[in-house]
Amino acid sequence: MVSEESHLGNQPEPVQEEPKTHLLSMTVRRGPRSLPPIPSTSRTGFAEFSMRGRMREKLQAARSKAESALLQEIPTPRPRRLRSPSKKELETEFGTEPGKEVESTQQEIDSRSYSRVKFRDSARKIKPKPQVPPGFPSPEEAYNFFTFSFDPEPEESEEKPKARHRAGTNQEEEEGEEEEPPARGRGKEMDEEELLNGDDAEDFLLGLDHMADDFVAVRPADYESIHDRLQMETEMFFIPSRQTVPTYKKLPENVQPRFLEDEGLYTGVRPEVARTNQNIMENRLLMQDPERRWFGDDGRILALPNPIKPFPSRRPVLTQEQSIKAELETLYKKAVKYVHSSQHMIRSGDHPGNFQLDIDISGLIFTHHPCFSREHVLAAKLAQLYDQYLARHQRNKAKFLTDKLQALRNAVQTGVDPEKPHSSLDTIQKTINEYKSEIRQTRKFRDAEQEKDRTLLKTIIKVWKEMKSLREFQRFTNTPLKLVLRKEKVDQKADEEAYEAEIQAEISELLEEHTEEYAQKMEEYRTSLHQWKAWRKAQRAKKKKRKQAAEDHPDNEIEEPHPEEDLVKPTPPEPTDRAVIEHEVRERAAQSRRRPWEPTLVPELSLAGSVTPSDQCPRAEVSRREDVKKRSVYLKVLFNNKEVSRTVSRPLGADFRVHFGQIFNLQIVNWPESLTLQVYETIGHSSPTLLAEVFLPIPETTVVTGRAPIEEVEFSSNQHVTLDHEGVGSGVPFSFEADGSNQLILMTSGKVSHSVAWAVGENGIPLIPPLSQQNIGFRSALKRADAISSIGTSGLTDMKKLAKWAAESKLDPNDPNNAPLMQLISVATSGESYVPDFFRLEQLQQEFNFVSDQELNRSKRFRLLHLRSQEVPEFRNYKQVPVYDREIMEKVFQDYEKRLRDRSVIETKEHIDTHRAIVAKYLQQVRESVINRFLIAKQYFLLADMIVEEEVPNISILGLSLFKLAEQKRPLRPRRKGRKKVTAQNLSDGDIKLLVNIVRAYDIPVRKLAMSKFQQPSKSSRMFSEKRAASPSTHSPTHNADYPLGQVLVRPFVEVSFQRTVCHTTTAEGPNPSWNEELELPFKAPNGDYSTASLQSVKDIVFINIFDEVLHDVLEDDRERGSGIHTRIERHWLGCVKIPFSTIYFQARFESQEDEKLLQATEKFQAECALKFPNRQCLTTVIDISGKTVFITRYLKPLNPPQELLNVYPNNLQATAELVARYVSLIPFLPDTVSFGGICDLWSTSDQFLDLLAGDEEEHAVLLCNYFLSLGKKAWLLMGNAIPEGPTAYVLTWEQGHYLIWNPCSGHFYGQFDTFCPLKNVGCLIGPDNIWFNIQRYDSPLRINFDVTKPKLWKSFFSRSLPYPGLSSVQPEELIYQRSDKAAAAELQDRIEKILKEKIMDWRPRHLTRWNRYCTSTLRHFLPLLEKSQGEDVEDDHRAELLKQLGDYRFSGFPLHMPYSEVKPLIDAVYSTGVHNINVPNVEFALAVYIHPYPKNVLSVWIYVASLIRNR
Amino acid sequence: MATASPSVFLLMVNGQVESAQFPEYDDLYCKYCFVYGQDWAPTAGLEEGISQITSKSQDVRQALVWNFPIDVTFKSTNPYGWPQIVLSVYGPDVFGNDVVRGYGAVHVPFSPGRHKRTIPMFVPESTSKLQKFTSWFMGRRPEYTDPKVVAQGEGREALQKAVFSVHGLTSPRPLALGHIKGT
Repeated sequence: MVSEESHLGNQPEPVQEEPKTHLLSMTVRRGPRSLPPIPSTSRTGFAEFSMRGRMREKLQAARSKAESALLQEIPTPRPRRLRSPSKKELETEFGTEPGKEVESTQQEIDSRSYSRVKFRDSARKIKPKPQVPPGFPSPEEAYNFFTFSFDPEPEESEEKPKARHRAGTNQEEEEGEEEEPPARGRGKEMDEEELLNGDDAEDFLLGLDHMADDFVAVRPADYESIHDRLQMETEMFFIPSRQTVPTYKKLPENVQPRFLEDEGLYTGVRPEVARTNQNIMENRLLMQDPERRWFGDDGRILALPNPIKPFPSRRPVLTQEQSIKAELETLYKKAVKYVHSSQHMIRSGDHPGNFQLDIDISGLIFTHHPCFSREHVLAAKLAQLYDQYLARHQRNKAKFLTDKLQALRNAVQTGVDPEKPHSSLDTIQKTINEYKSEIRQTRKFRDAEQEKDRTLLKTIIKVWKEMKSLREFQRFTNTPLKLVLRKEKVDQKADEEAYEAEIQAEISELLEEHTEEYAQKMEEYRTSLHQWKAWRKAQRAKKKKRKQAAEDHPDNEIEEPHPEEDLVKPTPPEPTDRAVIEHEVRERAAQSRRRPWEPTLVPELSLAGSVTPSDQCPRAEVSRREDVKKRSVYLKVLFNNKEVSRTVSRPLGADFRVHFGQIFNLQIVNWPESLTLQVYETIGHSSPTLLAEVFLPIPETTVVTGRAPIEEVEFSSNQHVTLDHEGVGSGVPFSFEADGSNQLILMTSGKVSHSVAWAVGENGIPLIPPLSQQNIGFRSALKRADAISSIGTSGLTDMKKLAKWAAESKLDPNDPNNAPLMQLISVATSGESYVPDFFRLEQLQQEFNFVSDQELNRSKRFRLLHLRSQEVPEFRNYKQVPVYDREIMEKVFQDYEKRLRDRSVIETKEHIDTHRAIVAKYLQQVRESVINRFLIAKQYFLLADMIVEEEVPNISILGLSLFKLAEQKRPLRPRRKGRKKVTAQNLSDGDIKLLVNIVRAYDIPVRKLAMSKFQQPSKSSRMFSEKRAASPSTHSPTHNADYPLGQVLVRPFVEVSFQRTVCHTTTAEGPNPSWNEELELPFKAPNGDYSTASLQSVKDIVFINIFDEVLHDVLEDDRERGSGIHTRIERHWLGCVKIPFSTIYFQARFESQEDEKLLQATEKFQAECALKFPNRQCLTTVIDISGKTVFITRYLKPLNPPQELLNVYPNNLQATAELVARYVSLIPFLPDTVSFGGICDLWSTSDQFLDLLAGDEEEHAVLLCNYFLSLGKKAWLLMGNAIPEGPTAYVLTWEQGHYLIWNPCSGHFYGQFDTFCPLKNVGCLIGPDNIWFNIQRYDSPLRINFDVTKPKLWKSFFSRSLPYPGLSSVQPEELIYQRSDKAAAAELQDRIEKILKEKIMDWRPRHLTRWNRYCTSTLRHFLPLLEKSQGEDVEDDHRAELLKQLGDYRFSGFPLHMPYSEVKPLIDAVYSTGVHNINVPNVEFALAVYIHPYPKNVLSVWIYVASLIRNR
Repeated sequence: MATASPSVFLLMVNGQVESAQFPEYDDLYCKYCFVYGQDWAPTAGLEEGISQITSKSQDVRQALVWNFPIDVTFKSTNPYGWPQIVLSVYGPDVFGNDVVRGYGAVHVPFSPGRHKRTIPMFVPESTSKLQKFTSWFMGRRPEYTDPKVVAQGEGREALQKAVFSVHGLTSPRPLALGHIKGT
């Protein structure tokens, strides 16, 4: 390459002129070879060419074959020939069709054209000039030539050299392409290089293959032998060995491994790591890091016992989506007083005013400082020693002991004195002995003290001498210290005498001691000598014996029995030698005592010495002094570990003393726990460093300002300082000796002089928290700290003992197991509190109790929420509990509170009759308990309640559904399909509407056209004789006969009222009207709660009233008759039907809980029945009032009706039966769905029923059936559906030859084939010993056979396979009746009348309500007659009587008959008649009430309401 | 603040049911409703809604995009019973019966701002294999009596034995929550 470059590079300048010639020559020369690139880029072109080529080839081949001449040439030129045609073409097309050529090349150069065109453009701008010369192509041709690349080769060949230039040297590039901006050129360079590297390179090589040898070097393939490679790898790689590393490798040289555990220190358990892994790691560490800092003293890798950190160190993860801002969102929190340490707080409430602690920091002295020079060190030592000396001197213990000794000696002497006879000899001897021993002791102490004094003095002198020599040596003085030894002259003679006397005394004493000792020893010697002698004798005797024995038996060598011990002859003690003692004493005295001839030396240390000025000092010293000057010191005062103040920063003096002289007055609130001073040192302008901490004791409460002494507290720091000047540093060894021996290590230390005291207030009272407070504070602090003590154990009082014990038993303070104990001890001994490290449940509860419990309970809102969550009925669905208490009305709770109050108190006002009030209460309670029990049960949802899931289809259902497919889409007799149940959650007000279809009416009574119009209540029951004999159709003719002149005698319309909403139909005419209208009434659930429980407790009743519309002509003037019609519409109540809402809304829901077998049988029976006739009611078990499941037949048993009733018609059974039925019907009706919220159907026994005086159809029917049974009738309980009750219970009796169906609630009875019978279908019959289920095709009573003995028609529960087990009845043996109380009934009657009258007046607020007394009394007389006749057959007489008495009044009224339960239904009934709505001006009213009492307080109430309008 | 009118705070929710990932199903629509406590009442906007039917996007994501808007305002006196949005997704099965594909619920975010929630959707499974087959065959899969149960505590014990399968993975929903303001 290089050669080529140089070759082309020789002509960079000519390029501008030459290109064409050069290029042309190039093309000519290597035209054929230049083609190969084309196929690589333009395949189509090439394919085209090759096709043509092949054609031509064939042609040529054919020719050549024909010629068969140029055979040899074919093999070689073939490839060439393949190309040659295209070349030819190119050549031909070159000049003639440039456009076409452009296209074919355009593809080829597509990829690179961009840069090249650019290049060309730029090149064109410059190049035209040289192209001008003649003989060259025309400008147009030139333009084309340069704009388009007809042939890439020339261009490339032109560029290539350039490119190569550039690649070679940058300078050349500049020369060659001066015109181009460098940046651009660079970009192009890149492109061109790419080109070069691309196919052009190939092209180039191909073009210049004659030079291939210059570029290609042939070399053998590189091969590394595996051996070499392995060797190389071993050099590169390190594979840590698994071998155990010997300990010495892991430790610094010449260091023995040290096992802390063996030394008794707690080390903790190391984490489990496999031995091999540990070895590998050790090896690796040794390899990588030979410093061995990974290894501990014991030669093992350092390891923490528990590598898990106690707290997480990872910062919270910020997700990408959420900005940091969101994470850092701040929350405003009201500032709260710091309450945590309230335990330690001095309650300001108890002790007004603050407390104050005065801290006086006078100064600081360094006993050692890094800047100390050697002299300073000595000076400090000297000062220390001098201080010591002074202290000793002050105490002068030696003198004191000497005096004491003297005194003791005197005492002994006086004691020995025989002139004192008053004490016994013994005691004297004893005291003397004591004295003597004391003398001995004291002497010893004195000697020691004296010796110490002396050595101290000696050291002082020694240090001073050292200092002096040091000063001389360094030739300057640093410290002003000067020691003066003052000699005190002593009276030598006296001194000597005293000395001698002392020695003599001592000697004599010692002698005495020694003689005593000698005597004792002598005693010992004697006894031992005696022993020895005895032993000797014995020994000798033995020897003798032995000798004899040896003589006797010479062979027998008797071994000499060694005595146990060879007693050595005791040596007598040496008597004491006085001289020796004297010598000893003197020697000692000489050593420890000043010799008498020596003067007393008193050292005096003064600061009088002069310090050498800095300019006379050597440089090291000067720098030291400058360093000292740079330093300053200040103190921080920390109270309870909080910085409260700090002193000013004072420079360090040359004498290393700092004077502060500051007093800090700390106003404190918290009990002082700790008081700390922190010593900070600042060097120059650097940040201060903490030297040491000084802990000050909290002063006693007696210490007040002014009385506190200045105290000094020592501190020391463990900092290591090395200085480069004369300063000795701190924590580093230095020496005074020249050879560096006797090394000393001094740490920075010093003393702080301070005083701490309690301040005194203005009135002289010290500002000290009371002492008791301290204890409490301390105790409570401990309580926080320790769980045990908070229970109240008094173990804390022995904390000192505990600490002692801990110290004695040498508990390892480092062992975490002991940590709590240690902490406890430290707390107890230091009084410092700490944060407990145990977990306490709800430890923050106190902080969350933002109000006290009482306050919380007082909150109305909280109470409301609480009651609601308890599901108290009044609040169960309370919506939107107000936010503020003030928005909650007090009356919200009134009802609830009243109910709570009333629970025990029986209110008679509502009920009038006490018995009923009690019953009502009882019912209410039963109801509540049942509801509560059921609410709990209701919480248990079954899967089916939550998830709608299709049943697994069985064959029959599948078959049925298949059959259904073939069913008619619109059958002729469509059946009613059950509506889909709507879930109650999604309902709201207005969604539910009550639809009432009024179809038609029969037998509406007609007005009697008499002088007064009088209506009688609908005669819905007929005479017994009538019923049996006549079909209803026979009635109409009789009525029809009543129409005189075909005039309409009645215009009835129906009004339906529900929840005080009223709707009415259009008015029809005649007694048998047909309306066929649908009335729509909106329904509102209580509290807007549409849940099942709530809906079922709706007590509202749908009233369907029939009125007669009467039109009255009110025109009083006949003259206006022609112009207008003025009529007044009056409506007269004819009758009503009441349908309790509970009947409309009925959801059967049973909960099953007697004999297992029987229960199973009942389930089976019911299942079978339900399978066959799902719509027919089948009852086998019921739930009694205590919630137990009872088999239904056990309710049926003959029970005696009241005797009074039996006495009325003693001979007429039928009449008695009717009377009994009436009696039963007079017991108020109360549906179970209302009382028990539709939860379940509770059956009460007949005595319970009579006690409660309330019950629904079942109870009535059971009682009636039982009465009939006792009357000797054949009677069954009949379960079926009736209108309007829905599923209900009737009673079926068998009279001679026919069946009668009794409605127990109304007391009416119907023949089996009576079409007016409200009973519409029959599900089952229940007798006292069996149940029969209706399996006939039809269930209408008209179409079925009641003969239960036919098993094809009636499926019996007990059969041969399951015989009747003889179940005992749940009913009582007999019923006991109280006689009716006539007086009470009369009283009640008056009260009801009064109430009703008041009500009617209330309903007519805008009108005057007049009462016609005459009429009222007439009615009152009439009502008992009605009761007697049971509302039948008296109308004619009555009407006649009324007419007679009232004369010219138009009378419209009706008697109402009801069983009595409470007043409200009576009022409702009167209201629904609408009597009060008459607004005729001169209307008068009449109202009479009659109550007929029956046994057991069953009351029959009659109300006669009437309006009277006087006829003019 | 007038003392006459009761003090309430308002919670304005607007956002949309954006999209869902139901890898197995297509042509789904969703239904939303809110479940809230007794102290809450909607004051404006729609509490319930049914979206259009959407088909899977043709790209790799295979997302079912509804972008179905939600805009409702509640007033309340008590944070207890904070509204939850309940989503249920339905779609046709093989036989073209409309069956439920998922239930899910999530609380309306407590803080104002834009939030995006992803709700896992699940569906109760048939109790037995046979039922599974019949329900598949008849196109009547087990469903909740009321989708709101997913947001309520009641009756959970009844569902203890029930098996659920997670059909749809997600239903992301950015919810811009209006500010809560006290009046």
